[in-house]
Amino acid sequence: MNNKDVLILGAGVAGMEASLLLAGAGLKVHLVEKDSIIGGQTIKFEEVYPNMECSTCMVAPKQQEVLQNDNIVKYYLSELESLEGSAGAFTARIKKKARYVSLANCIGCEACYEPCPASLDNEFEEGLAARKAIGVPCAGALPNVPAINTEHCLRFNGKDKNCKKCQEACMFDAINFDEKDETIDLKVGAVLVATGFDLLDVNKLPKYGYGKGKNIYTAMEFERLFASNGPTSGEITLRDKSTPKSIGIIHCVGRKEQGYCSGVCCMYSAKFSHFLLHKIPDAKICEFHSDICVPGKSYQKFYEETRKKGVEFIRTDNVEVNSENKKLKVNYQNGNKGKDVFEADMVILSQAMIPKKGTDTLAKVLGIKQDNKGFFSTQYGNLSPVETEVEGIFVVGCAEGPKDIPESIAQAGAAVGKILNLIS
Amino acid sequence: MNERIGVYVCECGPNIPDRIDIDKVLEEISSMENVAVVKKFGLLCSNDGKKFLEDEIKQENISRLVVAACSPREHEKTFMQVCRKAGLNPYLFQLVNIREQCAWMIPDKAEATRMAIKYIRAGISRVALHNPLVKKELEANPDVLVIGGGVAGMEASLSLAGKNRKVYLVERTESLGGMTNKLSQILPHQGTDLSTIQEKIEKIQSHENIEVFTDHEVEDVRGFLGNFEVTIKNVKEEESTTNFLAGAVVVATGFDLWSSKDMAAYGYGEIDNVINSVEFEKMAASDEIQLKNGKPPQSIALIHCVGRKEKGYCSKVCCLYSIKFAHQLKDKLPKADVHEFYSDLCIPEKKDQDYFEAVKDKGVHFIWSDEIKIKKKEGKILVEYQDSNQKKESVEVDMAVLAPAMVPAEGSKQLAEILNIPLDETGFFKETHSMLEPVSTSIEGIFIAGCASGPKNIPESIVQSQAASGKILSSLIPGKKLEPEVKVSQINEKFCTGCQTCLTVCCYGAISFDEFKGVSVVNEAICRGCGSCVGSCPSGAIFAKHFTYSQLYQEVLEALS
Repeated sequence: MNNKDVLILGAGVAGMEASLLLAGAGLKVHLVEKDSIIGGQTIKFEEVYPNMECSTCMVAPKQQEVLQNDNIVKYYLSELESLEGSAGAFTARIKKKARYVSLANCIGCEACYEPCPASLDNEFEEGLAARKAIGVPCAGALPNVPAINTEHCLRFNGKDKNCKKCQEACMFDAINFDEKDETIDLKVGAVLVATGFDLLDVNKLPKYGYGKGKNIYTAMEFERLFASNGPTSGEITLRDKSTPKSIGIIHCVGRKEQGYCSGVCCMYSAKFSHFLLHKIPDAKICEFHSDICVPGKSYQKFYEETRKKGVEFIRTDNVEVNSENKKLKVNYQNGNKGKDVFEADMVILSQAMIPKKGTDTLAKVLGIKQDNKGFFSTQYGNLSPVETEVEGIFVVGCAEGPKDIPESIAQAGAAVGKILNLIS
Repeated sequence: MNERIGVYVCECGPNIPDRIDIDKVLEEISSMENVAVVKKFGLLCSNDGKKFLEDEIKQENISRLVVAACSPREHEKTFMQVCRKAGLNPYLFQLVNIREQCAWMIPDKAEATRMAIKYIRAGISRVALHNPLVKKELEANPDVLVIGGGVAGMEASLSLAGKNRKVYLVERTESLGGMTNKLSQILPHQGTDLSTIQEKIEKIQSHENIEVFTDHEVEDVRGFLGNFEVTIKNVKEEESTTNFLAGAVVVATGFDLWSSKDMAAYGYGEIDNVINSVEFEKMAASDEIQLKNGKPPQSIALIHCVGRKEKGYCSKVCCLYSIKFAHQLKDKLPKADVHEFYSDLCIPEKKDQDYFEAVKDKGVHFIWSDEIKIKKKEGKILVEYQDSNQKKESVEVDMAVLAPAMVPAEGSKQLAEILNIPLDETGFFKETHSMLEPVSTSIEGIFIAGCASGPKNIPESIVQSQAASGKILSSLIPGKKLEPEVKVSQINEKFCTGCQTCLTVCCYGAISFDEFKGVSVVNEAICRGCGSCVGSCPSGAIFAKHFTYSQLYQEVLEALS
């Protein structure tokens, strides 16, 4: 039994890289993605460090290649329900939710969005904006084909069973309310897990003062704020639409509690400062950190440039945010000088990377272990970082543990090498 | 010319007819020379649309095709496929963008219509001059040259070697294993112990598809992807060389530690019992952690970041191996005082912090410090520093272990020249794209893995070599031919004066100089069609296929008329 097809879970940078390499080798790839679009978390960023290059411009060509490659079969709104068998002969059962919009007929003209009477908080925009019940998560989404959110759509949730405003607006016969959820059985030779990460819920750490309406932003909320395709078209504004003049960026949010350093936050916090100074040249910025983690040949330079631009870096182990008044107070331990305070209009929290929601369930489905931090466990301790203890099942990218983009891509390539050796 | 040019205007739903008067467009372009068919269609990229186009090409005997629709980024490939299916050379086709470049940007319908007509007429005059380019096929050698027999090189060799693919592993010292030969142990959470590495060495030495050349260096590499000619020389007998062919190269030359001359400021080489990490590893490996006088040390300083400021980067592995040293010291000399002097704790992987917390539990002191000076004091060592409150402090110790920066391996510059690949400003090998292509170089077929491209730890080096292997395994398949880029540059010998300007602008090594004829020659197998040489040629001797001067000139002329 030597099935040469490969199942890839997750269409972020790691999943896309692996798909393209395997398809290039002539293998058939089944790319299963939970969301209605591909691209993962990277497409939420406007720019990436250290070159401050446009993230979407960087990823879009890969997304296009994946979409146009016939060797990669894409399953959107899909998840793995069960896996049986062994390397070379797995049977994977995929649960695919209905999109209600035809990928073949829809051309992305967006005519169906406007007439839709139902709205919901846009999860992609971290709740900073709303979207209609039929829509794509963001401008420039790929594929540019909307999906219907059945929880909020009036027709599907029963509030207005006869509503068909979207279908009436569509000139291409692309909307079909009768589409059904599907269960698909796939026979594959290997499985690659590239499901990515989540960020720690800051509501779990009340000392940072995060709350509704406050000018305290999580890292992802800030990424969307500065994204040109985001809720404010890239303008840095507070919840009341005014412009902040003093900003505090707090590193290591959750580091003690989670018990590890997430490796990417010092760099993206410096990235935030670069961007803030570009948009608000006279802003006063203070970054509060325990250590500065900038490993490798190119990251330290970027951090030093941030300091040269006048951003203050304060080393402290003890930071709290008092958000009782409009002006936020960042209280911190200033060495042996005692407690000090930084008054800020805006505070950004750089939170720990945590295992993606659903990791526990997926680990059981796959029959693979998790480590003591909840990430998927691999043979790292045996100098084989992308293999799990089950032959034929690999884990790459942030699903394995916090890491930056180049490491995720290298791991994807490594798993491809292992799979090609396994299968041939 | 007896061409039958077919022009098809896609309505793209409401997108285009709302903003452009399509019937007027059809009327204006049908009068052009050689235009045989002019039609509109609802949605050409749909299955129906593609079938329609295919049928039209066959039934109307279309010899060149123009489609006026959306951006080439969207559907150029789609319609080229349609041409192939219909038996028409896919390069006798032009996609004119009247959606993003007209309908979506020009609010006035009359103006948008006028521009659409111009663009389409320009596209028609261009396509009339297209050549039916043909894909070439190239034989490719699947074997691989791996330079460097450390962790990364060994991993690449084991991943790549197989029944139909040979690996030539070239190592300049007398043994495989690289830097790991100098270690007492790997970090416990990164490897069970050094036996894993020993197993790999044994596997390689007995592998029938890996030829190992220890005491050898690369002397010359000529050629390109699939066709490299390699010469290696024996470092002990310089006259003794070996030649072989390979399809790809993996550079896994590792790193060196910052040299001792620059470390005199830290007392290295001047003060007794100031040693570097490699020297400590040797002591730990033989279980003899001793001072020069043979006695065990009672207080030890582990100094991180030696060279961090000077070099301008963080070497990533030193915090962790210094913590490893502290663990070893506390285990072997439980009563000893251990102090770690650091500027930042770089412990980014998911298990690293647990390892750090465990060593703190053993009573190791972590001291944030700046401006470290190491002085001699009555047979002991005085570590002077400035603490986090800017107060001057000092600690007296018996032994100081320095963690020096990782620097590029000696000979990197020469190797980069031999291979024609760039180094970056830190002197490490440069990857094509720091985010998306961490193991590729600007020369197709030459990959880099491990510390050769920058400081990293053992598992990361292993991942990178597996990634380089993955790239080679998926593109250089035994028996499969390579299909190089079609739209490449070509040099007209008659006009070439032999100035070699083009050679200086090509960053892919695709142009060579024919000494005999006195002209430059493009290697079509490696040319990527970037066009830099075309612009650089002072004699106008170079043209880019599918972007010739006449094609571009006619297109622009028509657009401006």
